[in-house]
Amino acid sequence: MVRLTIDEQVIEVADGTRLFDACTQVRGEALPHFCYHPDLSIAGVCRLCQVEIEGAPKLTIACNTVVKDGMVVRTGSPRVQAAVTSILEMHLINHPVDCPICDQAGECGLQDQYMVYGLYESDVAKRDKVHKRKAEPIGPYVILDQERCVLCSRCVRFCAEITKTGELGILQRGDRAEIAVAPGRVLDNAYSLNTVDICPVGALTSRDFRFQKRVWLLRSTPSVCPGCATGCNVRVDHEGGRVWRLRPRRNDEVNGPWMCDHGRMEYKHLHAADRLTQPLVRREGVLQPVEWREAWAELERLVRPGGVALALAGPHQTIEELLLFRRLGELLGGPEAVYGGVVGTDRGEGDALLIDGDRAPNRAALGWLGLREAPADELAARLGPGRMAVVYGGDPAALSPRLASALAGGEFIYLGTRRGATAEAAAVALPLSMWAEKDGLLANRQGRLQALRAAIARPGTAREDWRVLAEWLGRLGAPPPPTTLAALRREVAAALELPPGIDLNALPATGFVARSGADAPAAGGR
Amino acid sequence: MTRDDCRILSARFGRSDGHRLAVYEAEGGYTALRRALKEMTPLAVREEVKTAGLRGRGGAGFPTGVKWGFVPAEAQTVYFMVNADESEPGTFKDRWIMDYDPHAMIEGSIIASYAVRAGLCFIYIRGEFGWLVDRVQTAVDEAYRAGYLGRNILGSGFDLEMIVHKGAGAYICGEETGLINSIEGRKGQPSIKPPFPAVQGFLKQPTIVNNVETIAAVPPILREGAAAYRRFGTEKSPGTKLWSVSGPVRRPGVHEIPLGLPFREFFAQDLGGMADGEELKAVIVGGSSVPILTADEILACNLDYESLAAAGTMLGSGGMIVIPRRCDMVELIQVLMHFYWDESCGQCTPCREGTGWLHRIVRRLRAGEGTIADLDLLDKVCNGMMGLTICPLSDAAVMPMRSFLTKFRNEFAALARRPEESGPRSRWARTTNEVIG
Repeated sequence: MVRLTIDEQVIEVADGTRLFDACTQVRGEALPHFCYHPDLSIAGVCRLCQVEIEGAPKLTIACNTVVKDGMVVRTGSPRVQAAVTSILEMHLINHPVDCPICDQAGECGLQDQYMVYGLYESDVAKRDKVHKRKAEPIGPYVILDQERCVLCSRCVRFCAEITKTGELGILQRGDRAEIAVAPGRVLDNAYSLNTVDICPVGALTSRDFRFQKRVWLLRSTPSVCPGCATGCNVRVDHEGGRVWRLRPRRNDEVNGPWMCDHGRMEYKHLHAADRLTQPLVRREGVLQPVEWREAWAELERLVRPGGVALALAGPHQTIEELLLFRRLGELLGGPEAVYGGVVGTDRGEGDALLIDGDRAPNRAALGWLGLREAPADELAARLGPGRMAVVYGGDPAALSPRLASALAGGEFIYLGTRRGATAEAAAVALPLSMWAEKDGLLANRQGRLQALRAAIARPGTAREDWRVLAEWLGRLGAPPPPTTLAALRREVAAALELPPGIDLNALPATGFVARSGADAPAAGGR
Repeated sequence: MTRDDCRILSARFGRSDGHRLAVYEAEGGYTALRRALKEMTPLAVREEVKTAGLRGRGGAGFPTGVKWGFVPAEAQTVYFMVNADESEPGTFKDRWIMDYDPHAMIEGSIIASYAVRAGLCFIYIRGEFGWLVDRVQTAVDEAYRAGYLGRNILGSGFDLEMIVHKGAGAYICGEETGLINSIEGRKGQPSIKPPFPAVQGFLKQPTIVNNVETIAAVPPILREGAAAYRRFGTEKSPGTKLWSVSGPVRRPGVHEIPLGLPFREFFAQDLGGMADGEELKAVIVGGSSVPILTADEILACNLDYESLAAAGTMLGSGGMIVIPRRCDMVELIQVLMHFYWDESCGQCTPCREGTGWLHRIVRRLRAGEGTIADLDLLDKVCNGMMGLTICPLSDAAVMPMRSFLTKFRNEFAALARRPEESGPRSRWARTTNEVIG
């Protein structure tokens, strides 16, 4: 441990701690900075995190200083204040100050720090400003405004150190220096939008989010990306019933501060034109929108306990939902009728950083709950004329022609979110919720339980999945299903044989590793 | 002691054959190397140079022997580099060494490499010095053939390879970490310190970088001994120094004098005073980056590190620019500000933005479009640039700017429009307050 004094406060920190971080600890907020980023190498170029260290003749940047025993540091002395103010002004002299049309406005380092350290009147003559290129697309997702850039080099370091793809560099020198894509390249790595997140100003903005919403109107809900088995922690930024963007939320056990571009686009599915927004019932061969009451009546007419040949779930459903669905499936068709999904679906290419080849967010839980995935042929063999099936989620009919024709050959109830091939072939289709419209738990590839949280309202008369499943169980006269999500989660904890004291309603910020993702099915398994 | 007795570094300057190995050897060349390799340990060489009190001639004046001692004792791979990226405006002494006496630099480099236990030595030559690359390479080839380079040098068991590297022409590559980045094939720009190059430099290994003139002084020190070297100069500034003198004096060029010589004497004797019809106005004494001295100030100075520091300037590289009375100081500073704006690597915000801002304000003043308030603005911009960056380029722009502004303020003020002629400045904040009440 090292003892040092920062702003008259004596603190002890671990050996090797960066002075920058020690200052944050004492001040409760970070020193002014643009180039420092805890997950990237030290550049030391913005020069804003200057502090006064007793005995040092010059001011020192805290980001490139390691604490030493007995150090006496001042972060707010008049000398430091004067330096920070002037350095901030240097950052701004050639800045276009086009905040009214800049998407970064409201979450901009220049704006924030100007409010704290600036508030001077500008001494720059307009004609003295250096002009550079604006609105240059540099990749499928990212657009670059050279004038707004403060050359902190975070984006360059990200591409060099995190993705190791090296698309970006700084060309030219002096005030002609500019961020540039290497000749013949585009910024098209699978993580390019992280450069937009770490850009402290409006130089790099998202082509997807640009000009969509002022950020101060957005509300942010912490959740988990449903795009693959990694389960990157995200913030769902929403307003007016729509999600406008996803951003990564730091979880050093899962995704650090990053997420992939593919995951960021997951929100688009929420607002797809083919969402199921009302219950549908087939009448005279045509699916017709109905009230829930009518849908339930039709469903009860068609499905009898014990009369279901296949109850098919999928790895996109939450753990709570899968637990209830298993119970429902066993009641309707017996344990052998219940399946966890179609083998070989939702697979893609993975990488060494975050993207998992398993594109489903909760496959680990299928095993835990003993929900077996089976080949399409095996599932199809259970179907046929006069047989009844219940298909929960996904679009299995679109995955396999064999399964599609088998489903069409019999009758089935579909519970889902979109009017895909499966919904179109169903006798009854019940509209449920997508991941940003409901609360629920997912188990990622590490076996880590993480929580989805409802951010926006469900479309139309769509309902929360677990309530629909619970209602169906209730209608069947099963043992009373839980009436609250909290109670349902207590049943999940019991089913997964979690150690007592784990409250699934209040998971730690980093989630909770229930068991290794590769673990053989145990709890509730057959 | 006549001036010729002081010609330690410049003995062969101006001669057509001084660059040849045979001539250099006939005049005592490579005997210092022989002595070092055969009779001395690396530590003893370092101590000798430390005792001689040799200080870095690139500009900083740091004691050379002390710098060599910063290489960690346990280091396995060490590199030595000669900084021949001489680009400071007004400075042209290293190029005379390389042109007229390349073997002095090469012998010094071999000895220095031995002292710091380096097995590979680079000579980094400024890109614009194309002809010197050839000259130095020819001399290096001669040294290889004579057995002064390569394996088992002079039977001592010491191996050294020497590579002549041509830069691409960037002032900032004369900063030692910029030089190392450039040799590594990266963009030539300084690195943050720590780590310092002596601990982690080229390819993350300990690396010592020395200026050409510094290194050329090493063979004479070892040949004659530290005490002999200390016969010249002062206690804190031992030895001799090359001054590259430009401006309308009678004898411009490179002059070697013992440190501590009064400027008055140097000016009268060596430079022969001002050319006909010229009058001394000011002197930039150590290359364009140091504060300027007025005629009165410089005439009271001795030419050594401590006297010049006391006068508020620096000995720097010894690039002396003599400025005549007729010179327009604002024009001169515009040229210098253009230089620093052009050469700033652009990494650190205060330097990247500040050098350009200074240049633009000065240019505006000279175009007759400045106001008297711009003089204070220049001063303010200087304050925001000094001592806040990775390398000294920012300070190097500020020091001339500030000293010109202080000492020749009337010339700046004469160019400014009178305040009543200037339109109202944009004061939106105040206006807004007035409107809102």
